[in-house]
Amino acid sequence: MIDLSTIPSPLVQIVIGLIGVLAFVGLNGLVCVYLERKVAGHIQRRPGPFEVGPHGILQPLADAVKLVAKQMITPKGADPILYWAAPLISFAPAIACFLPLPFGPKLQNVSINVGLILILAFSSLNVLALCLAGWSSQNKWSLLGAARDIAQSVAYEIPLLLSLLPIILLTGSLNLAEITQTQGPWPWQWLVVKQPLAFIIFFVCVFAETNRAPFDLPEAESELTAGFHTEYSGMGFGLFFLAEYSYMVVGCALASILFLGGYQGPVASGWWWFLLKVYALLLVMMWVRWTYPRVRFDQLLNLAWKWFIPLSLLNILITALVVKL
Amino acid sequence: MIFSWLHVAIILFLGAGVLFAGVPLLASLLLAPKCKDEELLLPYECGLRPYGTSWVRFGINYYFYALLFLAFDVDVLYLYPVAVYYPFSEGFLPLIEIFLFVFILGLAVIYFFKKGVFSWPRRIKV
Repeated sequence: MIDLSTIPSPLVQIVIGLIGVLAFVGLNGLVCVYLERKVAGHIQRRPGPFEVGPHGILQPLADAVKLVAKQMITPKGADPILYWAAPLISFAPAIACFLPLPFGPKLQNVSINVGLILILAFSSLNVLALCLAGWSSQNKWSLLGAARDIAQSVAYEIPLLLSLLPIILLTGSLNLAEITQTQGPWPWQWLVVKQPLAFIIFFVCVFAETNRAPFDLPEAESELTAGFHTEYSGMGFGLFFLAEYSYMVVGCALASILFLGGYQGPVASGWWWFLLKVYALLLVMMWVRWTYPRVRFDQLLNLAWKWFIPLSLLNILITALVVKL
Repeated sequence: MIFSWLHVAIILFLGAGVLFAGVPLLASLLLAPKCKDEELLLPYECGLRPYGTSWVRFGINYYFYALLFLAFDVDVLYLYPVAVYYPFSEGFLPLIEIFLFVFILGLAVIYFFKKGVFSWPRRIKV
């Protein structure tokens, strides 16, 4: 690992950080595909992928090659420009979300005093991409999936924003590196101890925003075939998946920075603690997918509006009171 | 002239994102087979020929949720700068102001609750 702060020119620093982020996103896609299939397999008492390489470790590479070699079909009557722009619009902001994340004490691309807002803004662009994908593919399943996705993302955006406010009230900063440094290395110094409710609401909202089970209604395969990406074949489908995994990592990284102390750990603080926390949370997300059944749509919306928003508003009030006392 | 390395970084990252996503698509154009068939290009509709177009008007049941979202999202964004300054503020006046603001936000939820927006099947009292 290179000490990014010793590089003189900001441009060189940005480009090196960019290459690092791209490598991380690509590798993360491969690791997540493998992990997801292995976790799913073992939870269902079967070994999962086993044939390609030892313990199927080369399976994600084989999947990637297969996806590239599939024909890309634009359905008849679809809007071709919007149809092919959608995967790009879904994926590009995912890269920008990695810009303010502090991976380690000196491993941050650009130190931004509005880092949190930047991530929230870019991650909500994904809704637009899924809406375009569903609308432009001239397919009724896709259209229904897109309508559901908009209603769901819109509903969970608000508790997501509200659950982060107590953290800012406590730390008085939007800079993710500063928020990390207000917490100590030991678990009882992390903000999750002061804000357990905010952590739970935030983590559930990450599930809903990334369309993961039990909130995967936009792509509910038993009702809508594949939802908004029904018509996408080959790499178009692959890009949506890669984007989903990148947003999952961004969400888990935010959760570990804001609530779990980021790169700080009891023994030796560093990027390894950060990655450990992020992948532990990712494993929890995969575990939940195979544990809970999919919710109904009214349950999904009412959970956000009837429970999470009032609870997080109360949480803000209590936190504001405690900060002043 | 407004110039900051942050803007450069954001533009570079977005551009790299498009490139990173575009290269596999281009590789797919070169490598993948290109079958042409009338049936192949039909949108999927459970194996039947699609009935009509999908670009039709349909009743969006979630219109009220969209309205609520608009009202909330804008207000919550106002709370962010307030929250950043809050720990450094003095006196109890900011606390009272936050209480008023959040109380009015909460009233909106209670209002829609009473209207029956959150009850299914939908019975909205006009």
